[in-house]
Amino acid sequence: MGYVAIKGGGRAIEGAAGAAEALRAAEGEDGRPLTLAAIEHQLRLLTSRVVSEGGLYHPRLAALALKQMQGDTLEAAFALRAYRSTKPRLLETPVQDTGRMRLIRRISSAFKDIPDGQMLGPTFDYALRLMRFDLAGESPETFRGIARRFLSQVPETDLPDTFPKVVDALRAEGLLPPAGQPREPAFDITREPLVFPVPRSAALATMARAETGSLLAIAYSNMRGYGDVHPTIAELRVGSLPVMLPHPVTGEPTEAGEVLMTECEVVAMYEEQGSSSVAGGRKPGATEDEGESGGPPVFTLGYGACFGHNETKAISMAILDRALQKGMRDGPSNPSEDPEFVLLHVDGVDSMGFANHYKMPHYVTFQSDMDRLRTTRTKAGGKAAGRNDEGVQS
Amino acid sequence: MSEIASIQPSAWEPLTQQFVFRRLLEAFSYPGRVASVARTDAAPVLSLLLATLVDAEIALADPQGLIGADDWRRLGARRAAPEKAHFIVARGDLAPAFEPSLGTLESPERGATVVLQVESLGVGAPLSLSGPGIDGAATLAVGGLDPTWLARRAAWNSAFPLGVDVILVDGTRLAALPRTTRIKFEGGH
Amino acid sequence: MNPGYELPQNEAGYSFGFLDEYAKREVRRTVLKAICIPGYQTPYASREMPMGRGFGTGGLQVTLSLVGPGDTVKVIDQGADDSVNAVNLRKFIELTCPHVDTTEHTRDATLIQSRHRVPEMPLTEAQVLVLQVPYPDPLVVVEPSEARRKTMHGEGDYSRLLTKLYEDIVQFDEITISHRYPTRINGHYVIDPSPIPRYDVPQLHQNRALILLGAGREKKIYAVPPYSQADPLAFDDVPFRTEDFTDEYGRRRACARCGAIDSFLDELIDDDGARIWQCSDSDYCNERLAAAGKQEVARA
Repeated sequence: MGYVAIKGGGRAIEGAAGAAEALRAAEGEDGRPLTLAAIEHQLRLLTSRVVSEGGLYHPRLAALALKQMQGDTLEAAFALRAYRSTKPRLLETPVQDTGRMRLIRRISSAFKDIPDGQMLGPTFDYALRLMRFDLAGESPETFRGIARRFLSQVPETDLPDTFPKVVDALRAEGLLPPAGQPREPAFDITREPLVFPVPRSAALATMARAETGSLLAIAYSNMRGYGDVHPTIAELRVGSLPVMLPHPVTGEPTEAGEVLMTECEVVAMYEEQGSSSVAGGRKPGATEDEGESGGPPVFTLGYGACFGHNETKAISMAILDRALQKGMRDGPSNPSEDPEFVLLHVDGVDSMGFANHYKMPHYVTFQSDMDRLRTTRTKAGGKAAGRNDEGVQS
Repeated sequence: MSEIASIQPSAWEPLTQQFVFRRLLEAFSYPGRVASVARTDAAPVLSLLLATLVDAEIALADPQGLIGADDWRRLGARRAAPEKAHFIVARGDLAPAFEPSLGTLESPERGATVVLQVESLGVGAPLSLSGPGIDGAATLAVGGLDPTWLARRAAWNSAFPLGVDVILVDGTRLAALPRTTRIKFEGGH
Repeated sequence: MNPGYELPQNEAGYSFGFLDEYAKREVRRTVLKAICIPGYQTPYASREMPMGRGFGTGGLQVTLSLVGPGDTVKVIDQGADDSVNAVNLRKFIELTCPHVDTTEHTRDATLIQSRHRVPEMPLTEAQVLVLQVPYPDPLVVVEPSEARRKTMHGEGDYSRLLTKLYEDIVQFDEITISHRYPTRINGHYVIDPSPIPRYDVPQLHQNRALILLGAGREKKIYAVPPYSQADPLAFDDVPFRTEDFTDEYGRRRACARCGAIDSFLDELIDDDGARIWQCSDSDYCNERLAAAGKQEVARA
């Protein structure tokens, strides 16, 4: 026999890579390789997910990662992150104003109408999930004309460039506390380890590149009753945010490019300004004007934002932001309010890497396990025998 | 390579920093051991050391102005008072006039690193060292170190894991005194 | 989006050691603090590496922050140089670190990155051992909150961990921890020494080489400096015990290949269904065979 089956690893790795590559091209002679542009546009939500979870805004590289990883979003986001590790961070962007986003979609569920109106934009929300069998045999000619026909029917004047933000209206009315100025620079999770307690900016940054399904699962636990956020979406907006950077010579803010992003602001149960008690779900008996601690009650805001067009993620993040703020202030009473529980378990690269590492050889530790089990079994056997000698049933 | 880069010392090159770091690693692993960082270029060891360990993430204190303006600009470090600094650069021949951060029980790594410029390493008053990294006992000779530093260091490091870690540098060499190193010296233990 | 953007054409743009210089500088600062506070899990902003979290990314970031021209690197997994994961990491180091040699011989290496084993051959002052760590905190079995664990570590409060060991003894008459055996460094911090078998734990004590432990996913680096105390937790009446390799006649089992009776053994099932034992450290086994002038015992 060979030394050990696992050894001779070099050849095995090459073989494995070859086998995976062969499956990618398994269509054979009829196959046509996917272009990156096709992935970026025709699978735009997949690309969005990868730029968001990869934490690097580069849709073309995200498309490449998806192609290379054969559609695995966890692996593709991972490849993008690893690429990011090799790039120095040259600059910190100043605070960006999402009021300047060039929107393709914005809705509010809190108000029937909002300044400048609701804009449904590209969404499947109200589409019937019936299979469109016509797409199965779509002709290239028809396909190529779709976008052109759409644009020819929509007058450009129908699309205002920017829209005011809904929460600004709530703030103007005093129903939301005024937006505070950041007291310290934002926590950079790529440069600083998370040592708890962490500031809210660390939580937001962690969630912004978290794995969508993980965020959704924990946010859903809060929605179902392991928590009490009860959110209303003040505004959900999707669009391109112009990124303003200081000009290298003049220092004047200059548009350096734009990133597609999704932003969600949820408004949740009111609380008294300057008070630590939260009225609503947990205190059904509380009345609106209860409390001696100064200011009138106000709504609280949960904030979610991420690269790409990822509405489920932005909503989940906004709900968790609100839940975590409560946990940071009053101590967590549910998993979704516990910063350590949430933030250390939502990263796709970390969690999927660890889940997969169990496939690696563990025979040294297993040998050690067997040694312990054999020893304790021997001891247990000896004891049982001893007890039987004394006439005691075991 | 541009003309400006060619007349600069290579302290800012990745492989120089890798070399300096390995000498530092040796010095910290085996306290008392004097590591030479002399290279073909003439960069002072203090510059090499700072280029290797300090960047914009770091709060750096230089109460006596030992760091040149050019080094400050390239390091990009935040200027800080010694009490708030991650790294403090100071003259060894003058008694300490500050209280460095000792870290906290939960985060003892926030205890400062104090870089002391001394006259000579390997020559001077012998210090007797023991602790992790030392096989029994070791001797480190240091010239131009005010003994007050040793007394203050002993006080700062009296409640492990809190404490400060010291790097001694002369013209071309460096040595390290981690907080775990016990020093016997005249006037104290 | 920027449809006209050109992608780089190949991987040549990666810098020496893959990581950017800021990342290396942070790891280097962390490593020095870890040496100064033996056994303390020093936090750092672990970067994503191009292999899975849990596959040795923490160890690799330490190795890549240390390595330079003139180094000779050895990578082992389960004691073997040609285990798939070791091959993969070694290939990555060869790809990203020009002018760095790799070796399978423990004695020729200046840097040894290992998963689950300490080499059998005693290390020297000229070597650094980097261990890959999946779970850095031994207190996690008794306390899930990291914030509370940090306080316990700072105070050197391991009473709950000792209670856990004691409960084992009451239930099983034996401490049941098989590997990752909690070990106290320099009389203060208790570490998870990574999933090395108990057999390797005594090697941490007063070793001549620096031992660095890197946990990439958990974003921690800790160290056992050379010539440091490393004491596995135990009780006076229930001492720490390493794996037992005696056979039913009370004799120490020998490696079926090189005959060693002083090495950690892998237990294998032969093609005939019989159990045999071989050295887990392949270099140690090969060196012994070479020294004896023997060929590998062919058992085809």
